[in-house]
Amino acid sequence: MSENIPELEDDTGTFESGLPGFLGTIDGWIANAEAVILAAGIILMAINTCVNVVARFVFGEGFFFSGEINRILIILVTFAGIGYAARYGRHIRMSAVYDALPTKGRKVLMIFIALFTSAVMFFLCYHSYGYIETLYSRGRILPALGFEIWWIYIWVPVGFAVTGIQYFLTAIKNFTSEDVYLSTGVVDGYADSESEV
Amino acid sequence: ANWRYAHEEYEGDVQDVYAYKFKEYIEDNSDHTLQIYRFGELGESDDIMEQTQAGILNFVNQSPGFTGALIPEAQIFFIPYLMPTDINTVIEFFRESKAINEDFPKLYAENDLELLQMYPEGEFVITLDEPVTTPEGMKNKKIRVMTNPLLSETYSAFGATPTPLPWGEVYGALQTNMINGQENPIFWIESGGLYEVSPNLVYTGHGWFTTAAMANKNFYDGLPKEDKKLIQDAADYAFEKIITHIDGLADEALAKIQAASDEVTVTRLNDEQIEAFKARAPQVEKKFIEMTGQGGKDLLNQFKKDLEDVQKN
Amino acid sequence: MATILMLIMIGLLLLGFPMMIPLTTAAVVGFVMMFDGFGQMGTFIQQMMGGIRPASLIAVPMFILAADIMTRGQSADRLINMVMAFIGHIKGGLAISTATSCTLFGAVSGSTQATVVAVGSPLRPKMLKAGYSDSFTLALIINSSDIAFLIPPSIGMIIYGVISQTSIAELFIAGVGPGILILFMFSLYCLFYAYKNNVPTEPKASWRERAVSVRDASWPLFFPVIIVGGIYGGIFSPTEAAAVCVLYAFLLEFIVFRSLKLGEIYKIAKSTGLITAVVFILVAVGNGFSWIISFAQIPQAILESVGVNEAGPIGVLIAICVAFFVACMFVDPIVVILVLTPIFAPAIQATGLDPVLVGVLITLQVAIGSATPPFGCDIFTAIAIFKRPYLEVIRGTPPFIIMLIVAAGLIIAFPQIALFLRDLAFAD
Ligand code: NA
Ligand code: NA
Repeated sequence: MSENIPELEDDTGTFESGLPGFLGTIDGWIANAEAVILAAGIILMAINTCVNVVARFVFGEGFFFSGEINRILIILVTFAGIGYAARYGRHIRMSAVYDALPTKGRKVLMIFIALFTSAVMFFLCYHSYGYIETLYSRGRILPALGFEIWWIYIWVPVGFAVTGIQYFLTAIKNFTSEDVYLSTGVVDGYADSESEV
Repeated sequence: ANWRYAHEEYEGDVQDVYAYKFKEYIEDNSDHTLQIYRFGELGESDDIMEQTQAGILNFVNQSPGFTGALIPEAQIFFIPYLMPTDINTVIEFFRESKAINEDFPKLYAENDLELLQMYPEGEFVITLDEPVTTPEGMKNKKIRVMTNPLLSETYSAFGATPTPLPWGEVYGALQTNMINGQENPIFWIESGGLYEVSPNLVYTGHGWFTTAAMANKNFYDGLPKEDKKLIQDAADYAFEKIITHIDGLADEALAKIQAASDEVTVTRLNDEQIEAFKARAPQVEKKFIEMTGQGGKDLLNQFKKDLEDVQKN
Repeated sequence: MATILMLIMIGLLLLGFPMMIPLTTAAVVGFVMMFDGFGQMGTFIQQMMGGIRPASLIAVPMFILAADIMTRGQSADRLINMVMAFIGHIKGGLAISTATSCTLFGAVSGSTQATVVAVGSPLRPKMLKAGYSDSFTLALIINSSDIAFLIPPSIGMIIYGVISQTSIAELFIAGVGPGILILFMFSLYCLFYAYKNNVPTEPKASWRERAVSVRDASWPLFFPVIIVGGIYGGIFSPTEAAAVCVLYAFLLEFIVFRSLKLGEIYKIAKSTGLITAVVFILVAVGNGFSWIISFAQIPQAILESVGVNEAGPIGVLIAICVAFFVACMFVDPIVVILVLTPIFAPAIQATGLDPVLVGVLITLQVAIGSATPPFGCDIFTAIAIFKRPYLEVIRGTPPFIIMLIVAAGLIIAFPQIALFLRDLAFAD
């Protein structure tokens, strides 16, 4: 649980897309959708589980599909969240060696990290799409809810693609500006920049 | 070649014994080798099935209960009192049944799987917080079931309250009385220590835990004739070994349980008591046909006919 | 193959890649080596999905959410005030209160991170003002928060329980004894430190003030009662207990204390969701990685070459402790549990070790390793939260690490420290 979260304050307010024009507008929508999925997903998990406990305790019978709903919510939250975390530079990383480098070195390394990470994300996006296709062709169903299982993975390639785009934009941002950026909107550094948080 | 085989149980369990007998035959009678993966090594039941379909694994052993999400008809084994109780009749049934030996291979083939062998693992035993002999006694009993609608229907029909729960939480839930009981073959009740927390064993005779060994169909179809024969012979060899293995296994497990605990009670329902439970079965059959349509209906009829045939002998 | 994967992992990790990348890259290279190309990547995706499939994983976001609500509201402060009112005045009282508050908050929260924030934020300024050095204060906060990892509920135990199929309820209760043992050791050290550095004592609270503090803290003190009572009373499973905690935290902060406004639940849930996602993507990728090393039979090969199977139970326990401790000095604890647990599972089974005891020891090692230089992740959490330089944060840690290692040794020598309560609760 080593995520570098300075405070529990909400510092993920409004998101400014790094993409130009119409693409930026769409990206902004996706960012909003991700935020809503994150919050709603967590709240629904709590409600779904509590309702199941109460139903079992009071009426003696829980809901058959409660577990499957939580499973779907976990997938949604995870894959909406990886894109969102990339937007705000929140992915867990071990930055000790990186931090010891001078600014120039950090910048070069960050461009490399961002490009490589972006490539890996698009790779996973492609293969997760392929996985969904395979599931679609096999027609496996969710035992309790009864609909086909590939539905619950739809946000997976989207999450990878969004994350890949964000890291790609981070690389560009580092190319075009003076500071070192962890994500398109987050300047790197916690040791020397108290004012920033 | 080195072939890969995954099953869904632990070391020494029935599927593991079957797998190693299968391996023994293959390796003794050819230059091929067989790598066996046990439960959890490559994921859960659904995972190893998908990996077999993808061709990463050549062989997989999966219980039809789990295959239900892929082949709805495979849930037929959850219909109570469809199979005989006596072990010799059951084995006879697996040898002779047209449903098992002709109809099921076709269903599996539609899903890129070559069904090699279906075999019984053991009779289902219900463990409960008190000995129960009637459907009325099952009222309000929360019984753990796998997430499988037909199995749920069976326990609803029996008068109990089916409660889906992952296997990992069963022991704890029994201990804290979150649930009142569960069903499993007796050797699992013994190896999982479930009798410690749910000591009243009830033999209802309502079904056998059945499982199936199969191969990836592309892999199998692409093999030369002698390899196909080798695999079929290995499956038959392992089947013969497994039926002698399970014969007496149940008694051994029960003896171990009774030696380990004084609290355990054993209730075997008599014919009259069984009739009361049996009377609830049609409800489950109806649900099965609802879920599987005409194909399921035909399979069910074939099953019943096969059953009559073996019981005549 | 094992060596190549290790080099890729450690190399990319040290360069500062997001932690999912070293794991993914190593896994993909493993797939390519095993299957001569990218043809079976679908199985990697399948195993990623399999990693986040267990329904019991929802306990992670639920405990984070509950802790977050309590930290932003008043529950955390009320608990701290109560501890202060009773032991703030004795020699080293402020430091002992900090350790005790971490333990107590650990009983309502599942995460180390939340405990550092909840207890460290209000108490660190007080300790500095009272004359404790900052390096001692930081080390105390970091290491005491690790007690929260042992005291139920614990996210580390949930992840271990899910992976090793061990009863989470038993793990929870077995963590209590070691947690209290460590609190006791830390308190002795605080006392020693306060005498040696002659730290002045705080004014003593009156019994009236104490009574008020207990009354104020009574609502949040009810948390452990709900968790323990609910689980052992058969009302809900340990997983569901987490969601019930959220419900209770919500009732307290939004209705009883009225310290938060309803609109804030969206923000809090979003923040929880974000933390959940960055952890769960690692759970997913970690499962994909563990699939390929399992498929290639690497764990079996490593354990055989080390000779663990012949080492006997104590040897296996020590091997586990060392492996987890060292790994956590470099990598996130969740990832370590995910990757190493399956590797040791055969040895644990073969030696007949109690998986609950193993779980407690692993949780402890993970906590110690996370607070240990060079790269223990708690150190970086503290740097981020308190904005202090690396060296200052690690300077005070050695005595705490030594105490924790002694505690681990004691648990190996006397397993009853962990198992006593478990055996009591689950006696037939
Ligand atoms: Na805790
Ligand atoms: Na795994």
